[in-house]
Amino acid sequence: MIRKIFVATATLSLLLLTGCGQTAPDLDGVDTGKNNVSDATQIAGDTVTIDENKYGNQNTADSANGGKYNSSSDGFQSIYFAFGDYTIAPGMEDHISKNVNVINSAGASRIKIEGNCDEFGTDEYNYALGLKRAKAVKDSLAAQGIAANRMLIVSFGESNPVCSSPTDSCYERNRRVDLRLVK
Amino acid sequence: MRYILLLLLSLNLFAVDATLKIEKDVEQRSRIALVDASPVVNEKFFKILLSDLKISGHFLADSTHYEGDINSDYLQPALKSKEYVLKFALTQQEGTKLLVRLLKASDATELFKKSYAIPTTNKAPFLAHKAISDINNVLKYPDISWINRYVVFSRYTTPKHSEILLADYTFNYKKVIIRGGLNLFPKWADKDQKSFYYTSYTGLIPTLYKLNIYTGAKEKITSSEGMLVCSDVSRNGSRLLLTMAPQGQADIYELDLSSGAKTRVTRFNGIDVNGKYVDDESRIIFVSNRLGYANIFKKSIHSAAVSQVVYHGRNNNACDAHGNKIVYSSRESQNSFGKNTFNLYLTSSNGSDTRPLTTTGVNQFPRFSPDGSVILFIKHRGYGSSIGYINLASHQSLLFPLGGRKIQSIDW
Repeated sequence: MIRKIFVATATLSLLLLTGCGQTAPDLDGVDTGKNNVSDATQIAGDTVTIDENKYGNQNTADSANGGKYNSSSDGFQSIYFAFGDYTIAPGMEDHISKNVNVINSAGASRIKIEGNCDEFGTDEYNYALGLKRAKAVKDSLAAQGIAANRMLIVSFGESNPVCSSPTDSCYERNRRVDLRLVK
Repeated sequence: MRYILLLLLSLNLFAVDATLKIEKDVEQRSRIALVDASPVVNEKFFKILLSDLKISGHFLADSTHYEGDINSDYLQPALKSKEYVLKFALTQQEGTKLLVRLLKASDATELFKKSYAIPTTNKAPFLAHKAISDINNVLKYPDISWINRYVVFSRYTTPKHSEILLADYTFNYKKVIIRGGLNLFPKWADKDQKSFYYTSYTGLIPTLYKLNIYTGAKEKITSSEGMLVCSDVSRNGSRLLLTMAPQGQADIYELDLSSGAKTRVTRFNGIDVNGKYVDDESRIIFVSNRLGYANIFKKSIHSAAVSQVVYHGRNNNACDAHGNKIVYSSRESQNSFGKNTFNLYLTSSNGSDTRPLTTTGVNQFPRFSPDGSVILFIKHRGYGSSIGYINLASHQSLLFPLGGRKIQSIDW
């Protein structure tokens, strides 16, 4: 008897625990074409498509040639961070010192410091985390005598991964700050 | 054995999911059947109509795809058990035309008849949404006009590149509206959905633009070193909540569009992001790591005091608000990498009446509909991602499969 009750309860549990949003019919998306909006009494007119490929289309792959784990350019070394962290690890101090030397030999050029994150995080918070990393590098460079007004920080959040495989070493490489000269 | 039995029964008691509450409301919904009178029977369009009826929470739609004549008042005997029959005829030659007739099932009395037309075929889903929205109004059910709205979203394409798209709520219609470059965080600028704000990375520093989707007119709003996001727009469109970092520190600012004045709303040497107007718009909720992890807080725009809204969860890093209702995403597992569970919770601005909305998977990007009755979210599960909707009143929910590219941000 108890075995029957057990089987019935287990089945009910499974059904309830797997219960979730009703999946809508699997419909093929329509992906292209100009659109003239709906019922004329509802919305009117065409929407536009803006092509910004002529802007901001610089190839970032060529910057990842400075060593095994480096995605900075112009001789700089990338700084890497622990999961969810924005403090500079002792092991990265050497990279900071090398970057100070690169800046000192770069004349009056400005330096762009780009904060990056792994894919774990959501929209705004991840961009703020990338920003904190960039700010930590900027502050560290400033502490070694680099003028703050020569440095510009921008967070790219999770938008600029250097690798995409689901491994810890890949995630590590994405939690980084890249440096490059402003040209 | 008894302990296992007890455990399973306990799990059942605490397993809450929106869809599980549906059945008790079934008898309050109208039983309706669809009769396809199109020259070429269109299964896809039928399913869109079916989805619209289901998510409204007001109809118990028969999933049988009946066929018939649009002008005839004859109803098959099987339809007599319904309350309503919706006959529709879709034609897609030289554009798209839709004719609908709503009949009373008992005696075939015509309650509503209307035709719809658009010059192209790819926006046919909007005709379905408009027709169901109209029928819902004819029957005097609470408004569901949110199904007619555009969803705007950004998705990553390649490193440092993204695109911004428009979609209908089911994602059957999709259109790229900004291609190329890195353009992020689209946010509707007005309730009529004529323009949206977005952050462009085409310059040296992030810049906020406003784009008119019909004319292509683009207006620069402001720029900031570090990061810049338009997190919320006031109901009348005159004020924006921005996350900015002019000194390298992410804080929330309010921008008055008429005067151009910026008010710094938060001052914290950590992370403050995701500001959302709450209550009467004199206060905001936001995400902050001031306790050492991401959580939801509240403050008045013009005073310094900050109060905690949420008291559970290991990482509550996204939220949205409508009036005094708050929805947030909460991480409920502790894996640094890989699979975590993120669930959505509904609460109020004073932190009371908290209840879970989801129980499985990774549920993120919660967004209220403009009337606050429905929540949009993105659900990731082992086999892929979906866009989901939860009707708070009816507890009805729906998921629509998404394509492979990662969504960066979404608004509707």
